[in-house]
Amino acid sequence: MQQQESDAAAIELSSVRRVYGYGSSATVALSGADLRIEPGRFVSLIGPSGCGKSTVLRLVSGLEAPDAGSVLVHGMTPVEACAAKLIGFVPQTPALLPWLSVLKNVTLPQKINAKAGKRRFVGSASPDMRKLLRKAGLGEAMDKLPAQLSGGMQQRAAIVRAFGLRPEVLLMDEPFSALDEFTRESLQDQLLDLWDELKTTVLFVTHSVSEAVRLSDTVVVMAPKPGRVVDVVDIDLPRPRGERLFEERDFHAFEDLIRDRLRSAWRSDDAASVGGTNR
Amino acid sequence: MSLASQRTAAVPVAETETDIVPQEPSRWSLKHPHSRLGWIRPAIWLPLAVMLALLGGLWQWGTARMPYLLPPLSAVGDTLTRNPGYYLRNAGITLEESLLGLAMSFVAAFLLAVVMSEAPLVRRAVMPIAVVLNVTPLVAIAPALVVAFGFGSAPKLIITALICFFPILINTAVGLRSVPQPVLQVYRTMNASRSEMLVYLRVPNALPYLFAALRIVTPLSVIGAVVAELSASGSTGGLGTVISNASSMNQLAVVYAAIGVLAVMGSVLMLVITVIERRALHWHESAADRT
Repeated sequence: MQQQESDAAAIELSSVRRVYGYGSSATVALSGADLRIEPGRFVSLIGPSGCGKSTVLRLVSGLEAPDAGSVLVHGMTPVEACAAKLIGFVPQTPALLPWLSVLKNVTLPQKINAKAGKRRFVGSASPDMRKLLRKAGLGEAMDKLPAQLSGGMQQRAAIVRAFGLRPEVLLMDEPFSALDEFTRESLQDQLLDLWDELKTTVLFVTHSVSEAVRLSDTVVVMAPKPGRVVDVVDIDLPRPRGERLFEERDFHAFEDLIRDRLRSAWRSDDAASVGGTNR
Repeated sequence: MSLASQRTAAVPVAETETDIVPQEPSRWSLKHPHSRLGWIRPAIWLPLAVMLALLGGLWQWGTARMPYLLPPLSAVGDTLTRNPGYYLRNAGITLEESLLGLAMSFVAAFLLAVVMSEAPLVRRAVMPIAVVLNVTPLVAIAPALVVAFGFGSAPKLIITALICFFPILINTAVGLRSVPQPVLQVYRTMNASRSEMLVYLRVPNALPYLFAALRIVTPLSVIGAVVAELSASGSTGGLGTVISNASSMNQLAVVYAAIGVLAVMGSVLMLVITVIERRALHWHESAADRT
């Protein structure tokens, strides 16, 4: 699925500022953030709590509007992009509907806002959800209720649901943070498999350095007080990135590099919080 | 006969280590979740039977001591068996009033809750009035309504509906509003319209709250109907009327027979609600400990 909008970036933030609260109690969640993500890239946002990575996600998904600057998704405002069903969202919790079976959970989005859906699916037919579920290892679980599944399986279903509309842009807010490490790694595998097939742009928020390095083409390092982008690191590791990756030296080199950038961002914290809005 | 073979396992088995296999629980144990015939076990029915026997004995003792206050149980049974049609007909009238009032109340409260969840302005306008109406004792309103609407079914339906209204309204409103934030976010990014969110997310999410309300409101609806009948002496019928007529003529056995019929009626209604709830909420956490 190649983009027709050739020169438009998938996601473009220019000098975005977002402030929560008013007056003396105001906190600058995001200040002067610039970010350009090309279509089809897998990009992770990493940084300590309060660095504004979730804010970036909420801005891109149109759940919030920036106080200054602009956010564009394929050249549209996020709200327009949502209306055109360009955006898929995977929250931290699976957020499945407990009264629907897994299959109904993942097919419900196609019933929602069906008019916009038709406009989108002129070229590409909507994917067969049964096939996607089977590919995600949920073939047996299709007719079960979410409560009957493990946390990892629920999160997989949530990912399939988001992929189901074939969004141009998939936003993932720490989707694996509540899972144990084994489950986490196998879900990373499956996410990469699905992404490989559908080639959407992914914006992935995470706390985990190794997760960011393993999944991403690009890692965006962020720092708090005020939330800002401090570094953008391209991860030049070959794909597919299987289990073996964890044993490779290059992988660990990138991990160390990003840890280093995070640490130096921490250290420059004091200077930045005095300066406030610089960059 | 299979029952007899079922309860032979209470015999103690030698406790060697190789023998650690789950035993069938003794017939005095309550831990027998999978048996469909579980209620046949004495552990289930015996406590209740003993309690009922005790209460019956106490009743008869009371009857002997103060015959003007308590009729003997035999007399109550007598009047019930002598003209069951009389009780059935009046029970039917009361049942119709309470169910109709409940249904009216349900529709009105549900719709108002939907409007309130979509328009905060309406909530601010309506909620205070609803609260005041709820804390006003309905027994106090009933005579006024009878004066206004006469001895027909109108005041009975209004009182029943009023008494059921508030719990349904509050519970539904809470249920409609308590869809988890991440779920709303996911569907907002899909550009779901408000009506789609209502139909696909909010209303199903409110179902457990609705059933909780129904459990509260079903017995209340019977109370409402009876209170209305009691305050409109000379009504066309209903068990409340039976009670007020019989007590004015000092027919204690009839009074208690009517009370008994009311108790049975309320229990059957609750049973029906429970059955429907189990069907409708099989997905809900509250169903998990029943399976």
